[in-house]
Amino acid sequence: MNAVDKRRTGLALIAFALLILPPVRHALQASMTAQMLLDIPLLVACGWLLAAAVPHAVRSALAGWNHGGVSGLLLASVTASVWMLPRALDAAVNDPWVDAARLVTVPLLIGLPLGLSWPRMGFVVRGVFLAELIATCFRLGWLYQISPVRLCSRFLLDDQQRLGTGLLVAGGVLFLYIAARLLWGNVASRDSM
Amino acid sequence: MATLTMYPDDERLSRGERSVFNLYLVSAVALFVLMMLLGLAMRMSQGNWLALAPDLFYRVLSMHGAGMVGTMGLVTTAVMWFFLRKYVTLHLWAFLANYVLFLLGALCIIGSIFIGNYAGLWTFLYPLPSQGMVWSPQSAAVFMVGYLLIGVGMLLFYLDAAAGIIRVFGNFARALGLQWLFGGQIDPSHPKAVVAGTMVIIANSLGILAGAVVLVLYLINIYDPQMVLNALLTKNLTYWFGHMYINATIYMGVIAVYELLPRYTGKPYSVSRPFLWSWAASTVFVIIVFPHHLLMDYAEPRWMAVTGQIISHGALFPVFLVTAYGALANVYHSGMRWTMPSRLMMLSLFGWAAGIVPAVIDGTISVNRVMHNTQWVPGHFHFYLLLGVLPMALALMYHVVGSRRQAPPDSGADRIGLPLYLVGGLVFVMAFLDAGRLSVARRMATHLPEWWPTDQAGAIGAALVILAMSYFAVRIGAGLLKAPADGDRAHAAG
Repeated sequence: MNAVDKRRTGLALIAFALLILPPVRHALQASMTAQMLLDIPLLVACGWLLAAAVPHAVRSALAGWNHGGVSGLLLASVTASVWMLPRALDAAVNDPWVDAARLVTVPLLIGLPLGLSWPRMGFVVRGVFLAELIATCFRLGWLYQISPVRLCSRFLLDDQQRLGTGLLVAGGVLFLYIAARLLWGNVASRDSM
Repeated sequence: MATLTMYPDDERLSRGERSVFNLYLVSAVALFVLMMLLGLAMRMSQGNWLALAPDLFYRVLSMHGAGMVGTMGLVTTAVMWFFLRKYVTLHLWAFLANYVLFLLGALCIIGSIFIGNYAGLWTFLYPLPSQGMVWSPQSAAVFMVGYLLIGVGMLLFYLDAAAGIIRVFGNFARALGLQWLFGGQIDPSHPKAVVAGTMVIIANSLGILAGAVVLVLYLINIYDPQMVLNALLTKNLTYWFGHMYINATIYMGVIAVYELLPRYTGKPYSVSRPFLWSWAASTVFVIIVFPHHLLMDYAEPRWMAVTGQIISHGALFPVFLVTAYGALANVYHSGMRWTMPSRLMMLSLFGWAAGIVPAVIDGTISVNRVMHNTQWVPGHFHFYLLLGVLPMALALMYHVVGSRRQAPPDSGADRIGLPLYLVGGLVFVMAFLDAGRLSVARRMATHLPEWWPTDQAGAIGAALVILAMSYFAVRIGAGLLKAPADGDRAHAAG
């Protein structure tokens, strides 16, 4: 493991340790907005950084099963779709075991596969992933704003609508960043897929 | 820069490429004839020459609209692929994936219409699809899924093309030639196909993204009606998607003119600063011009309506004027080889030019309030699609058929078929435009007796077009499927 990988691994472990501290957990789960826009993305980021700790031998063994990063992307997408369900968010707040499952699976089954797969993805796979991510932000943002009922029983309607606005903004910012990079930036483009 | 060699080596198709390319073109010409027959049935029904029950009429109208727009997108994608692959690496799997997803999407659309009775038209305006009286919400959902599949296929193709362009040119700005807008020595070999292709990728990807958002929200609304959508926002996004999709067909199709015209005139047709300016301006304009579809919506913010009018007037000219002027200058004193591809290219420029005029008129707010719900609008879009975009694609098809025997096609039957297509097309679109002048409402299954004369004239024009198009379809299909000529290195490679 080189110095950069060590730093990334250390950063991932420190961030994860901070995220599971009770006061931090309480703050991040106090609102739907914080949970969706801060808690989950930070846990994903921890897993992503943790990819640096995976030994090269393991990476090589996994690579044969992860052509173009598609398998990792699929695993991350399926796991993410579970934690996008309002019922799952409710359960994580109500039941410590479900919350523990979330703290394990979000970094290890979303962040880590993405961290391992991203360098293996070609332009098209990354493009599909990012386009779908932006579209999902816009769809959920719109949905949370128009829903007349609370989708999570633990959170209030105004919180849900605030999250909707936040997702629309997040989608917009991500879109503008990618558009600017494509237009004027220097975008790496691999030959494969 | 486009080559002056009639059948250059870098346009050779391998066996796999030829198979997929032929799938696109043969499917497209067959679908065009089928969709035109549906159109003829509708015009005959409106003119009281054929009895179509209203519910069947609206199903046929939905199929005709979705089918024509989709097929136009399919065939012009093939045009873009054919030329762009010379300059950047395009993967055949992406081209094939687009075709397969198009077919799956088309099956969903056909099933929703002819099995599920969906009749909410290709524009699927909210809340009509989820509240149809003669179709179930499920059939509307299948229709939406069909659109999603077609959009995903096209996005895959665009992403692959974007990867190729960025690999060669670094980013979209350099591919569009923005570095030469204000000065500097323009690289004369900078390909017009790359400029046009980049513009299409930028604009239509945005449209597809808007479509991907609004279509999924429709699906949610269909299965959970308490999720009430904002009708105005939904309409804006729908037209952003639909407008960009159909406009992209022109800009993909015109690549054929840029690439082929100099070969038939024998004169170079290189990139210029006005050309780059016009495509840069059009990239922006085509993205923001869509509010001209919503000028009748009183709730639309005034600034958007005004933007729609101003950009409508401005957007239609840059690329078109530069293309028309450049093409005519290229033809002037050139000793043009008048064969089918060159005739079709000139027809396409005429159809594009003349088809724009009704759009500019309708894009004026005060006119739009009177004309937009009349047959003036189908007159406009049939004009530029039938006599503008389709001839661009036909020009490439005829050119490729010619490549099989290393000589541009120009048989006696071709020379009869083209005037038939032109005359039929003009009668057909003029009948629509005249009906618009007479305030004949559009999208109506049943017409008043006073409206029948224009309907009947339109039906006669449509019949002539179908006659010519059927001949083109057989001629092109047979020409494409024929084994490569001996000694044709272009195909021996496959």
